[in-house]
Amino acid sequence: MNSSNEQSRNNSLRLLILGLVAVIIVVGLTLVILSITQPDAAAESNEPVNVLANSDNECVVCHSKNTPGIVDQYGHSTMAAAEVICQDCHEVDEDYPDAVEHEGTFVLGTPTTAMCEDCHEAEVAQFNQSRHSLPAYVAYAGQETLSEEMLAQYTAVPEGGYIDDKIRARNSLHAIEGPAITHFACESCHNVGKPASDGSIGQCNDCHLRHEFSLEQARKPETCNACHIGPDHPQWEIYQESPHGIAYATGGDNWHWEAESGTLTVEDFPAPTCATCHLSGFGSTGTTHDVGDRLTWFLAAPISQRRPAWQDNAVRMQGVCAECHNKEFINDFYTAGDAAVEQVNAWVAESDEIIAPLVENDLLTAQPFDEPIDFVYFNLWHHWGRTAKFGSWMQGADYVQWHGAYEILHDRAELIEMVNDKLEGAGLEPIDPGPPGPLGE
Amino acid sequence: MGHIATLFPAISRRRLPLSRDQLMLLLAAINLLFLGLDTYLAHLVSGTIVLRETIPIYFGVIAGVILLLAGLIALRNRRLAVILGSIVFVSSILVGLLGAYFHIIRASLPHAPIGSRISVSLLIWAPPVIAPLTFSLVGLWGMSAALVEEPAGSGILRILGKYRIRLPYSKTRAYLMMVSLGILATLLSSVLDHARDEFRNPWVWVPMIAGVFGTVVPAGLAAIQKPTRMDVTIYIFTMLLLIVVGVVGAVLHVQVDLASQQVIVVERFIRGAPFLAPLLFANMGMFGLIVLVSPEEG
Repeated sequence: MNSSNEQSRNNSLRLLILGLVAVIIVVGLTLVILSITQPDAAAESNEPVNVLANSDNECVVCHSKNTPGIVDQYGHSTMAAAEVICQDCHEVDEDYPDAVEHEGTFVLGTPTTAMCEDCHEAEVAQFNQSRHSLPAYVAYAGQETLSEEMLAQYTAVPEGGYIDDKIRARNSLHAIEGPAITHFACESCHNVGKPASDGSIGQCNDCHLRHEFSLEQARKPETCNACHIGPDHPQWEIYQESPHGIAYATGGDNWHWEAESGTLTVEDFPAPTCATCHLSGFGSTGTTHDVGDRLTWFLAAPISQRRPAWQDNAVRMQGVCAECHNKEFINDFYTAGDAAVEQVNAWVAESDEIIAPLVENDLLTAQPFDEPIDFVYFNLWHHWGRTAKFGSWMQGADYVQWHGAYEILHDRAELIEMVNDKLEGAGLEPIDPGPPGPLGE
Repeated sequence: MGHIATLFPAISRRRLPLSRDQLMLLLAAINLLFLGLDTYLAHLVSGTIVLRETIPIYFGVIAGVILLLAGLIALRNRRLAVILGSIVFVSSILVGLLGAYFHIIRASLPHAPIGSRISVSLLIWAPPVIAPLTFSLVGLWGMSAALVEEPAGSGILRILGKYRIRLPYSKTRAYLMMVSLGILATLLSSVLDHARDEFRNPWVWVPMIAGVFGTVVPAGLAAIQKPTRMDVTIYIFTMLLLIVVGVVGAVLHVQVDLASQQVIVVERFIRGAPFLAPLLFANMGMFGLIVLVSPEEG
């Protein structure tokens, strides 16, 4: 009887026991498998697979001999792993603008944004609305080169259509220097927004270098440094000096450069790069390809003005900041940044007043950049004014001070002297703007 | 008499407004609708949904609506409803298999050097191979529900008119095996998904444990000729556990997706932790509970 009861109890518990035994076995085995595969996974991540190593795609076969570098790069890309083949981006119809006959088909040597748009529609739309789009191109080519449709698109961009005498003078450098120089200079960067023959705009691969199209490359600040460098917009240098740049330089090797877009957290990026603040989805802010989407001022302008809907832009940028900084810190920082912009604005506006008597008395030549005073007047806003503003917002103390405000004051003094030389030379009364000082004093 | 009566004999004397098969069909219809939505969200990850990726999205929504309509049609014309349901469920099986094929080829690198063409890492990072098979599973259980078992518990299914097939098991046992298989698929999906994070978060071990337990228990119940009260109790506990795991998992996934400032950023819900995925555990738990209802037709 007892034996029968015991058997009955065992039968009743058989599912429970079976289930628990299975759990223990599977969990144990999984732990073993995970332990074994961890080193493999690490090795795999260090040595990406060339997914085209044995490809019989005719482009791959031929170009493996002729241009093996790009085939090897593409073989290691996630696009190739996702089965995007050469033809998807390069092959076009015979009547496609700029199509070139090639081995019995028609191709574009450099695919246009229209090809990228096939898969990355939202990204292209965001880009088209940005400073990197038509405004970048118009900066050297002028808006006269745009079709009616593109002109409408250009003026719809916040930076589009904003032009004053100072900007016009700056843009004239392109004509003054000539194509032998500008091909390697202005156009290298500003073609990021150049229209293609098929009507699409820009060059995605200026930032997403072909043919690896690596997330890491696009996210690293060195990519932006290709253009955002030098005396007129030294964002690269400022970033290196900033706490964010120091964190990148000292700890960036351990950041998760290939982390899934749209899921980034401070665990992936303990400090921001250019992309984190301006483009990546981070914190409460979604991913964008519009570089102006989070900015509150037109900092690149001689006298900065607020951007349209700048309050919304601020919310998006501050959504990124708030991942590490508290609200009070952010608000204080924005208040201080705004004050710095206002100060530089005041100095640039004063430079306009300083030079005004020469304009009124027709004592300046019509041609820009043909006499020393043009350069001093230009450098004051284009180099030092902008540098001081960028330095303030990106926390580059040296660029706010010695490469910014100090140089503004230096040029101011030089400008006054040059203006007075011209006025006195013309028998006119010299000006006396008084000693330099902060806004409101 | 269903297994539930083993535990609660009084229930067998009460009549539910819907029969077990009708409940199954209703759940299958809801599943297909949700699978359409879930697939839409999953396929949004790459930013652009290509043509072949739209198949399960449209199919899920259309099939779900057709099944709901078929449920209404069945009140007047059962034969037509069975035909409609069968077409939908066979299509669902095919859509699932096709999807699994597409996902498998994405999980391999056919032109990579030998030895690198297939790896566990690829299975983890590629589109989930198991996920499309959910369509097939729903198709399979829907087909089972659409075909009447006469007499109840015999394993003899009426196809159309006089045509009948005999299963090696009763429909109840077949359902239990499907529950087990469904939970196993859910478990594998969950493990492969969580392997992306290398199981660093201790919470992700919970669905694995519950999933393994949930796979074994229904299979065991299916294997037992005459389950005891304790067998059924453990089974019910397991199904309830899966429902809790699914709901808690969904909440945890939403928490992960919420930005640290508790703000909803759509792309985090699309590309981050899939908030609908854990509900598959709850879904299988409900499926498992419905199996316990009496197989008798209302």
